[in-house]
Amino acid sequence: MKAENSMTSPQETPAEPVETGSRSSGPGRLIVAVYGVFAISATARASYQIATKFTEAPVAYLLSAFAAVVYILATVALAKKGLRWYWISVAAISVELLGVVAVGLLSLLDPALLPEDTVWSGFGQGYGYIPLVLPLLGLWWLWRHRPGQERMR
Amino acid sequence: MVVDGFFITGAIVCLLAALICIVAAVIRQPPNDITILSVAAVELFLLVYGIAAIVRQAGGESVAGEVWEFWGYWITALLVPVAALWWSILERTRWSNLILGAVGLTIFVMLVRMEQIWDGALAV
Repeated sequence: MKAENSMTSPQETPAEPVETGSRSSGPGRLIVAVYGVFAISATARASYQIATKFTEAPVAYLLSAFAAVVYILATVALAKKGLRWYWISVAAISVELLGVVAVGLLSLLDPALLPEDTVWSGFGQGYGYIPLVLPLLGLWWLWRHRPGQERMR
Repeated sequence: MVVDGFFITGAIVCLLAALICIVAAVIRQPPNDITILSVAAVELFLLVYGIAAIVRQAGGESVAGEVWEFWGYWITALLVPVAALWWSILERTRWSNLILGAVGLTIFVMLVRMEQIWDGALAV
C-alpha cells in the first residue's frame, strides 16, 4: 500500500486530464469503466438467456446478444487510442443509442414482439435508464474529444 | 428476497465504500489509502460471503434459484473490485475515485441479485 497517498497529502491532483486529447483519460476513464460493467453484465445475461431458454423468445435473446457485442466493442474502442478506434467508438455508441431508442419504442408499441426483457427494453428501465443516458454521455464525450480538437490542444 | 445479516452487512460495506470514494472524487482527491481500502473491504466482504455460502450449502441449505447462476455472479463480482483498482491506479486523478465509487454500487446491485437467487426472487 502506498503510504504517501494519504487524504491530507499536499500532492497536487492533476486537475483535469493529464494526457491532453486522450479519450480514455480523466472522465473518459469513468465512461470506459461504466461501459465495461455493461459489457460484462449484458454478455452474462445474454449467455444465460441463450443457454437456458433460447426457444422461449429467440428475438429478444438475440437482441440481448447483439447489445452485448455493441457494449464490448464500445468499451474496447473507447479505451483504445487512435483515429480508427475513435470512429469505431462513434459507430458503436450510435448503434447503441439507436438500439435503446428503437427497442424502447418497440416495447411500448408492440410488447408482444419482445416478451422477454433485454437490456434495452423500456429504454433501459431495468438498469436505471443508464442504457439511455450512457450513449448520450458517450457521444458528447467523443464530440468534445473529436480528432480536430485534439490537434489544437 | 429475505433481508438477512449478509445482505445488511454487504449493503453497508458497499454503499459506504461508494460514498467514501464519491466524496473523495468531489473534493478532488486522487485514489488514496482510504478509498483503496474501502474497495478492499468490498472484496473482503465478497470473500466472506462466498465462504459462508459454501458453508451454508454444505450444511444443507438449499438455493432457491440456479446454483451455478449464484456462483457465476459471485465470481464476476469478485473480479470487479480488482479490475477497477487496476484501471483506476493507472491514472491517479479524482476521476479514478469515481471508478472506485462505481464498484460499491455495482457490487450492491449484484448482491441484491445474489440474494434474490438464494432466497427466490418472488419471496420478498
